[in-house]
Amino acid sequence: MQGGSSGIGYGLKYQARCISDVKADTDHTSFITGTLSLREENEVHLIRLSSGGTELICEGLFSHPNEIWDLASCPFDQRIFSTVFSTGESYGAAIWQIPELYGQLNSPQLERIASLDAHVGKINCVLWWPSGRHDKLISIDDENLFLWALDCSKKAAQVQSKQSSGMLHYLSGGAWDPHDINAVATTCESSVQFWDLRTMKKTNAIEHAHIHNANYDMKKNHILVTAEDESGIHIWDTRKPKSPIQELPGHTHWTWAVTCNPEYDGLILSAGTDSTVNLWMAPTSVEDEAITESIAESPAQQADPLLNSYSDYEDSVYGLAWSSREPWIFASLSYDGRVVVESIKPFLSRK
Amino acid sequence: MVERENTRTDDVPLDDKAKRMRDLLSSFYNPDHSSAPKAPSNYENLDAIDSTSFDPDHYMNLLVQQSNLEGLLRRHVEMAAEIKNLDTDLQMLVYENYNKFISATDAIKWMKSNIVGMEANMEQLLDKIMSVQSRSDGVNTSLFEKREHIEKLHRTRNLLRKVQFIYDLPARLAKCIKSEAYADAVKFYIGAMPIFKAYGDSSFQDCKRASEEAVIILVKNLQGKLFSDSESIQARAEAAVLLKQLDFPVDSLQARLLEKLEQSLGDLQLKTVGIENILRESNDPSKQGKAFESIPNTGHEVSVHGFAEAIRAYRVIFPDSESQLIKLAQNLVIKHFEMIEQCVKRRISSANFLGALRTIWTDVLLMDEVLSEAALPDFSLEAGQVTVKKYVASTFTYLLQDISDALLKVNVSPKEAAEEHPLQVALEASKKTVLQGSMDLLLDFRQLLDDNLGLLVKLREFIADWVQEGFQDFFRALDDRFLILSGRKNSTSQDQGFSDGALGEKVLVGTVLEITASFSGGGVQGDENGHAFVSGEICQIFRSVSETLLHHYINMRTQRVSTLLRKRFTTPNWVKHKEPREVHMFVDLFVQELRAVQSEVKQILPEGLIRKHHRSDSNGSGNSSRSNALLDDKMSRSNTQKARSQLLETHLAKLFKQKVEIFTKVEYTQESVETTIVKLCLKSLQEFVRLKTFNRSGFQQIQLDVQFLRTILKENIEVEEAIDFLLDEVIVAASERCLDPVPLENPILEKLVQVKLAKSKERSK
Repeated sequence: MQGGSSGIGYGLKYQARCISDVKADTDHTSFITGTLSLREENEVHLIRLSSGGTELICEGLFSHPNEIWDLASCPFDQRIFSTVFSTGESYGAAIWQIPELYGQLNSPQLERIASLDAHVGKINCVLWWPSGRHDKLISIDDENLFLWALDCSKKAAQVQSKQSSGMLHYLSGGAWDPHDINAVATTCESSVQFWDLRTMKKTNAIEHAHIHNANYDMKKNHILVTAEDESGIHIWDTRKPKSPIQELPGHTHWTWAVTCNPEYDGLILSAGTDSTVNLWMAPTSVEDEAITESIAESPAQQADPLLNSYSDYEDSVYGLAWSSREPWIFASLSYDGRVVVESIKPFLSRK
Repeated sequence: MVERENTRTDDVPLDDKAKRMRDLLSSFYNPDHSSAPKAPSNYENLDAIDSTSFDPDHYMNLLVQQSNLEGLLRRHVEMAAEIKNLDTDLQMLVYENYNKFISATDAIKWMKSNIVGMEANMEQLLDKIMSVQSRSDGVNTSLFEKREHIEKLHRTRNLLRKVQFIYDLPARLAKCIKSEAYADAVKFYIGAMPIFKAYGDSSFQDCKRASEEAVIILVKNLQGKLFSDSESIQARAEAAVLLKQLDFPVDSLQARLLEKLEQSLGDLQLKTVGIENILRESNDPSKQGKAFESIPNTGHEVSVHGFAEAIRAYRVIFPDSESQLIKLAQNLVIKHFEMIEQCVKRRISSANFLGALRTIWTDVLLMDEVLSEAALPDFSLEAGQVTVKKYVASTFTYLLQDISDALLKVNVSPKEAAEEHPLQVALEASKKTVLQGSMDLLLDFRQLLDDNLGLLVKLREFIADWVQEGFQDFFRALDDRFLILSGRKNSTSQDQGFSDGALGEKVLVGTVLEITASFSGGGVQGDENGHAFVSGEICQIFRSVSETLLHHYINMRTQRVSTLLRKRFTTPNWVKHKEPREVHMFVDLFVQELRAVQSEVKQILPEGLIRKHHRSDSNGSGNSSRSNALLDDKMSRSNTQKARSQLLETHLAKLFKQKVEIFTKVEYTQESVETTIVKLCLKSLQEFVRLKTFNRSGFQQIQLDVQFLRTILKENIEVEEAIDFLLDEVIVAASERCLDPVPLENPILEKLVQVKLAKSKERSK
């Protein structure tokens, strides 16, 4: 399958791993991304898709003190975002605000609202609640899960509660349930764990190895999609953690990131270290009967869930984000610092 | 003159004229002037003349005013002619009327003269008729008495005759019975029946009793005749008809006869069961076939013949009993097939099966002759379909069982006797069973197809389909079973499990490949023979299955290496790494894994053709040293260069370098599988490196490890461009993630690698 030529490209100066959709910007389709360079001065790029949808314009370029391992845009304020950064030896996480008059300043500086500096080990990610305004934040490091109370006006963040994941569970990331403000899923080497933020207790777990990334379905409750090293992509119903609802083949090498479309049901995007981005169609609405039916059918009769494979990348793809404003557009970021924005419109009609 | 001219010149005026004339005449005769028809409107002037309201003065004035002299003159002439005409017409009418009056008076006079004298004649006639009537009455009364007497006598005589018949009936019946004229007897008895019904209780009691006795004898005789097989069918049929006429409960008779038939059927089946038993006892398949062919010739066929005859007779006797017979015959067929099915469950050879089918078919044909309405061939065709299907299915299950037995056996054996190539043995064994089994199966089915039995001829296409379907199902089941086998072994989670699982996988991969190969051949052969045996689909299934299995295997292996790498990269603190002293242990483990893969792959998969080709290309000493030199050069360059420009450089390098296809399609060769696994592992290594941050020593350690790995890989497997590229990429990734990327100097690197090599060589010795 040949994809690629339809994409709109944008080059970052250095390598990069993370890209995020600026959800709060309702006027433009924009993404925010940050570079990962150990020895250079890192940058945060605010990118906007031109109104014609043919060009990516750099809306803001800000220097960031350290290499960025994780970046997330605030879902209710387009000027606020969080980063996880590393100096090489130690990790830090912070909430930043883009200065108001950045267009007129020569070298605008990001304003640090708060530092999430209660961490000791390697910080993995900072999570915002994806569905709207919420004054809490979650940060996950190797061993702990922190719940922060963020006050943007006072520019302060305080640890509200903290929970250790337990011995021998090295957390690698997480996802905040868009349907339940108190439910968070964290991934670690051997399982996905579910937490209740009110009690900070583990409620449930999916025992499954090597999960890199997890993402909740924005439309459907209880549906979680996970990406694994070798075994591809699994779709779970969190109420039935024993076995997945569906399994997708994933990538030739690791499946690094996976994300559900915020609007179209069953559209899943995955990025892999085999330098491809795959677009899947996996209707998650199927209930139990439908599943048994589909098992009864011979696999040949089922339609190929892979809608398209975008393979025009030079390096592993780590960053992936749907646009929530125009849900048929997604941005992908390969390690060589290349942002590619693609439209999946040609595949929507095919459904 | 004028009138004549007029008639000559114009017809319409003539018609008009005649019409006018008629009107005028009729008005003349008609006293009611008011109802006189009005003249046509276009002749206004003339009109006015004919009407009663004609005003001559006005007309005259009008005429004089309107017309000139000539016109007036012409008008005058016309008028005069008309008047003259009218006068002559009137005259003629008067004459005619007068003539009619004269002739009417003449006729009346003549009638009057003729009618006189007729009345006297009429009276005379009346008198004569009266006298004739009185005489005939006299004769009638005088003869009446005598006639009545004669009639009475005649009635008595008739009655007497009837009584005589009834009195004679018993004797007559007896006589009829004696002379076996049953039909007459029945006719007589039925004739006498109404009388017996009316007077049987009073005057003819004795008579009735006697005749009833006779009839009972008659019925008995008839029944005997009906049931005696020696009688001709015609006679028996007649007997049945007569019995029916005698109001005898024929249904019960029919039932009894049917019972008899069923009994004979049971006997028949018993005989067949005996045959089957005999068959089962003789184990040699070739003998079995013969036995089946020989025995039916003697006992079975005779009994079936008998049954067919019986059915024919029965049909003639009871023509309206077809449905029952059909049921009976179908029962027979069903039982036959049931028997075969039971045998099928016990696994019989195709010759045997064929024999059984043949017997049934001959039976069916026999019965079809007798009972064509039953559509037995169709029926047995249906039943046969089911049976053949079952047979096909069961043969496949047995084959499957055989294979898994063989495989399991081999699975156990390597633990007991530590053979050198357990995989190979297992592979060979299962391959053999699968191939042998499926070849046998094919032969069997070919036999089935080649047979010219009517039943099978009709079923031929179906059978081909079924066999094909069966093969597909069989291989699918085989695939499932292997998957389960490998899965089970996997879940034991130990090394043993791994290798055993791998064994299962590989065995299947191998076997499937073999079968695919043999099948594509077989398929062609089948096509040549004209039997539709499409192997393409099956081949496709095999291919996809073997592909998934191969991927499964590769995944399993890479996963193992992945865990190894993960441990290696998550445990140490890379930022505080000490200077590299020797190649890290993980490389050894990695190589060890690789060797295991190699040994497994070698046993099962064929060598790729590319290998030799490649060897001649790159295994030359000069070549390899050159590539080494190139690499060294590249390394040293990257050593000297500042880290700042490194990213740009790699980007540029990538731009100019052709994009290396790292993940290509896996082929079924040793090399392809090996290199794929190596590539996947190296890619994982690269990804792990990218996730870490290194100090100078950490980077150097990676550099050393990779360098050693490169040497080892070169020695062991075919190093593609992609692998070289990936190894470079690991170093690039490490340098990118290094705070202070100063690589080891080449001599030190070489030395450390050599030390390690020497050590490993020593160990292997």
